Amino acid sequence: MTAALPAGRRRWRGRHTVLAFVLPGLLYLLLLGLYPLVNLVQMSLSDVTARNIASSAWSLVGLHNFSRVLASPSFAATVPNTLIFVAIVFVLGMAGGLAGAVALESPGWLSQVVLGLMVFIWAMPPVVLGGIWKFILLPQGLANAVAGWFGVNHASDPILWLVWRPFALLSVAVVNGWAIIPFGTLVYRAALMDVPKEILEAAAIDGASPWQQFLRIKFPILRPVTLILAVLTLVYAFRSFDFIYVMTYGGPGVSTSTVPFYSYLESFAQFRFGLGAAVAVLTVLVVAVLSVVYVRATRGAEGG
Amino acid sequence: MRRPANAPTRRRRGPWVRLALLLMLLLYGVPLLWILITSLKSNVEIFANQASVIFKPTLHAYQQIAASGSLGTAMVNSLIIAGGTTLLTTFLGVLTAYGLARYRSQLIWWILGFLILLQMVPQTAEIIPLYHIFAVTGLVNTRLSVVLADSALLLPFAILILRPFFRNIPIEIEEAAAIDGASRLRTFLSVVTPLALNGIVTEAALVFIIAWGEFLYAISLLSNPGDYPVSAVLSQEIGAYNVSWPGLMALAAVGSLPILIVFLMAQRRLASGLSLGAVK
Repeated sequence: MTAALPAGRRRWRGRHTVLAFVLPGLLYLLLLGLYPLVNLVQMSLSDVTARNIASSAWSLVGLHNFSRVLASPSFAATVPNTLIFVAIVFVLGMAGGLAGAVALESPGWLSQVVLGLMVFIWAMPPVVLGGIWKFILLPQGLANAVAGWFGVNHASDPILWLVWRPFALLSVAVVNGWAIIPFGTLVYRAALMDVPKEILEAAAIDGASPWQQFLRIKFPILRPVTLILAVLTLVYAFRSFDFIYVMTYGGPGVSTSTVPFYSYLESFAQFRFGLGAAVAVLTVLVVAVLSVVYVRATRGAEGG
Repeated sequence: MRRPANAPTRRRRGPWVRLALLLMLLLYGVPLLWILITSLKSNVEIFANQASVIFKPTLHAYQQIAASGSLGTAMVNSLIIAGGTTLLTTFLGVLTAYGLARYRSQLIWWILGFLILLQMVPQTAEIIPLYHIFAVTGLVNTRLSVVLADSALLLPFAILILRPFFRNIPIEIEEAAAIDGASRLRTFLSVVTPLALNGIVTEAALVFIIAWGEFLYAISLLSNPGDYPVSAVLSQEIGAYNVSWPGLMALAAVGSLPILIVFLMAQRRLASGLSLGAVK
């Protein structure tokens, strides 16, 4: 096929001129995306503190940082925290996203308003959303007032949403799930709009109930998008920083610190950059696995 | 039996759907409303009853943040950082995405995989070496360092968003321009870019929004609060003791105005961009 094209057209489809377009962006990412990761590994194997972070004169300490981190009770606590946190955000994001998309399928002004609202919530700075939820969850805040209407608690005995240990992690995770639901909703909504109307009409004429239509027609069509969304939601939950920083700063103690957040605290609150880098290397390994799953999923969807 | 394509195909929505929509309206509307309501309260009102809905509204909090002067500085810093990031990311992103859309090789999957990995790496992992790199090069404590770091964060995302838009442009259009004697660069600028404008605007809006809200790189790379963007100022004030919640919420409301403007201008594009996988 290519051989049949005139020489000029063959060059047009060729790869060499195209490389010139790719180079600046790729170089930028090699320099400020990939090189930092190499640097991170180097730091994780070195003694880096506030004293020598601005130089490159680090003494190698082998796997010392890793063994110190793995022996630390604080780090040990952040692992189950991360699992619980990611699980809550994931379940809320996926289930809420699907439910939201199905609800938004119905025509009308209310759907339009809610859709606009959800796009706007996605666009709002996370620091603002985390801030308002921190205020809502204060002892005398709106959350306890609402709980009071339902007789859950009394004003004299407020629920300390962000202070009581098991509650704090749950509260931050639920707020984070709340923040990611609009994303899942929009992704699922776009996929549902791609479901051919003719098939649904034919099924309706054949007497399929809406539930049967969902289970037998829509759900199989949503499967590839579900896999992609699942990976993105997992990664979002795992990377979460903004809400934790704003609402609890990882506390009380490390009860709301996830592993990535802990790597930040070690580095920029304790200034033990070597230890922080060791934790961060572990987090990069986790997302490396997830990115392989994602590439396979998208490759399947794009059919390339 | 076929109905016209745009005829309503569904029956009236059931009570459950209506209930779900109302619940969503409450869950997402009330927090936004609560930002505004709180910003219109006095500190005394907050002290007496944080959850009150009936109160005497006052613009005191807004007057206070306007008088302090730091709001203007922070907004300018935000505009420089988010604007600079959007320009740099869009410039590099458009070139790279076009190249990747036209490049045919197995190598493409490795490059896309590399972009996806970078997009997924936690910011908390990148900031540790980035701090070191900017400290060694003397760029730390400059807003330029935040622009460079934010662009590195958002460029993979921008390329992945833009690439499908370029792929959808038929290569025959470019070949026709080539036969007419236009160079590749000329074709790219005058034929391809205009056709991809919709995608470029979508990408730029998404990047601007995320860069406007970014604060981890800003608080880590900048030590002078005078250089802080609004997001970084908010992140520090929320954690302070004796927070003035009306003042904080007034700052949050004013600081979110540019997001509201972008939202109003590009709502439909944002919704379609989000469905392409624009997780923050």
